[in-house]
Amino acid sequence: MCGIVGYLDRSGGDQAPIGDILVQMLSTLSCRGPDSAGVAIYGESQEPNLLLRIKLGEQGDFREEGAELADRIGGIAPIVEQDVFPGYLRLVLGPLTDAEVLIDRIQRLSLDLELVSAGRQMEIIKQVGSPANLDRSYSVSSLKGTHGLGHTRLSTESRVDLSHSQPFWAQGVPDLATAHNGHITNYHKLRRQYEQRGVRFFTENDSEIIGIYLRDQLSRGHTLEKALSNSLDDFDGSFCYLAATRDSLAYVKDRFALKPLTVAESANWVAIATEEIALRTSLPGDFEVHEPGAREVALWSVPGLAVETT
Amino acid sequence: MDDQEKGSVVDAQGKTPRDINRQIKELIGAGETRIRVIGASAQHNLGVGIVEPVSIRFEGSVGYYCGGLIDGPKLEIQGSAGWGLGESMNSGTIEVHGNVGNSCAASIRGGTLVIHGNAGARAGVSMKGGLLIIAGDCGYMTGFMMQKGVIVVCGDAGPALADSMYEGCIFVGGEIEELGNDTVVSDSDEEDRRFLDDNLASWGIGTDNSFRKVVSGRRLWNFDKQEIGIWKEAL
Repeated sequence: MCGIVGYLDRSGGDQAPIGDILVQMLSTLSCRGPDSAGVAIYGESQEPNLLLRIKLGEQGDFREEGAELADRIGGIAPIVEQDVFPGYLRLVLGPLTDAEVLIDRIQRLSLDLELVSAGRQMEIIKQVGSPANLDRSYSVSSLKGTHGLGHTRLSTESRVDLSHSQPFWAQGVPDLATAHNGHITNYHKLRRQYEQRGVRFFTENDSEIIGIYLRDQLSRGHTLEKALSNSLDDFDGSFCYLAATRDSLAYVKDRFALKPLTVAESANWVAIATEEIALRTSLPGDFEVHEPGAREVALWSVPGLAVETT
Repeated sequence: MDDQEKGSVVDAQGKTPRDINRQIKELIGAGETRIRVIGASAQHNLGVGIVEPVSIRFEGSVGYYCGGLIDGPKLEIQGSAGWGLGESMNSGTIEVHGNVGNSCAASIRGGTLVIHGNAGARAGVSMKGGLLIIAGDCGYMTGFMMQKGVIVVCGDAGPALADSMYEGCIFVGGEIEELGNDTVVSDSDEEDRRFLDDNLASWGIGTDNSFRKVVSGRRLWNFDKQEIGIWKEAL
């Protein structure tokens, strides 16, 4: 069991209380798995800058390491903002035209270096512990934006630490994040295939493969929607997963409908959660809820965003 | 004011399923026969294990396994319901005005479930009796391995309908996306039409659709090595 949530504001602005709604929904679902919690929040655009969150360590004071790392990265690209949090170094770099080249250069600085997220707009905040603790550590509920997704984890196959927490950033693709409930049972087979092609994995969590897979599909020229629907045939196992980019939020449900997911829409928002209770306790007004069917893929666009899609 | 309005009220707002159920049971113990549960926000396991002929109305949505293991009560849900609605119920009725998640009416032995909205996957899985009426559409593998009872789907049925069913029958008013293994569409007769008309009318469900009747093909009842192909397909 895990709990996943997604929310998209339809007003066209970028100041919706995304953090607050995601934390509320996750807190309601934390009984599904309080091992770790996280959110991917799409806030104000940092264009032409790039927003990075780099893991510094699991436990302890990493301020020195953070400053040192920032110095090294400063040698590659100009630093606009720099903060050190308990587990992270948060950097805004810029202005940059080619984010992907820069991400690659930073990742090559050290084999130990793990980018938790990179994007023009998105940042991932996650840690070991409950959603309530995540909010206490990082004041997630004060964060505003356009849309986002969240995860509360019951670890079943891999260890409990910051790296293995969700959401996952699709390593290498700015602003693409995923959150997964279930098991990808052909994970080892797929991972071997990707590793033979030189793809690097940062965790032993089967859910990490989703972002790697989507990146691969996008690089083959597929749209996100096509990539998501291809995954129905390429992934085995039970899954409901959410994927988000700068301009969209989507869900995918496996071919046997083995994992729960509920969806509600109003004129002002779209909300997705593993259990309806998360929607009912976090969102106002009267709205209809439905359970998507087997093999269902749905994607919503973020209004008011002129983002070039590839 | 309808009759139910005169009943005692349980406010579910901010309460745990255990506390809500305890209050319901206390009211039943004190002789109350009509109960309204207000402020339900899709909490799980509400109204389970009730064996008295009481009437309970949930004014809001309920979560997983609502009305599980009941024997006799009349439940009404004014919102939607999550997975496993009415699981293993023996008798009584459950009426839902919204949609329901997966596996409603799983393994029921008797009683009636009425879904005015759509049902998710595996509705009526392993039914051993009773009646399940879905006014809307139903999802993947509805009636999977059902052994007895009747399912009525007024709308469209998803893939693998009634896969590996033993007995019982499913009436479908809309399109059938795909029949499951070892199922056939059989002729329906005057008695079937009367059964449908009476039951749908009594729950206020109107439909212009003409129904097709899906039953077991009975080829999986006994193993025959000459028919190894259908076993490979089914398993």
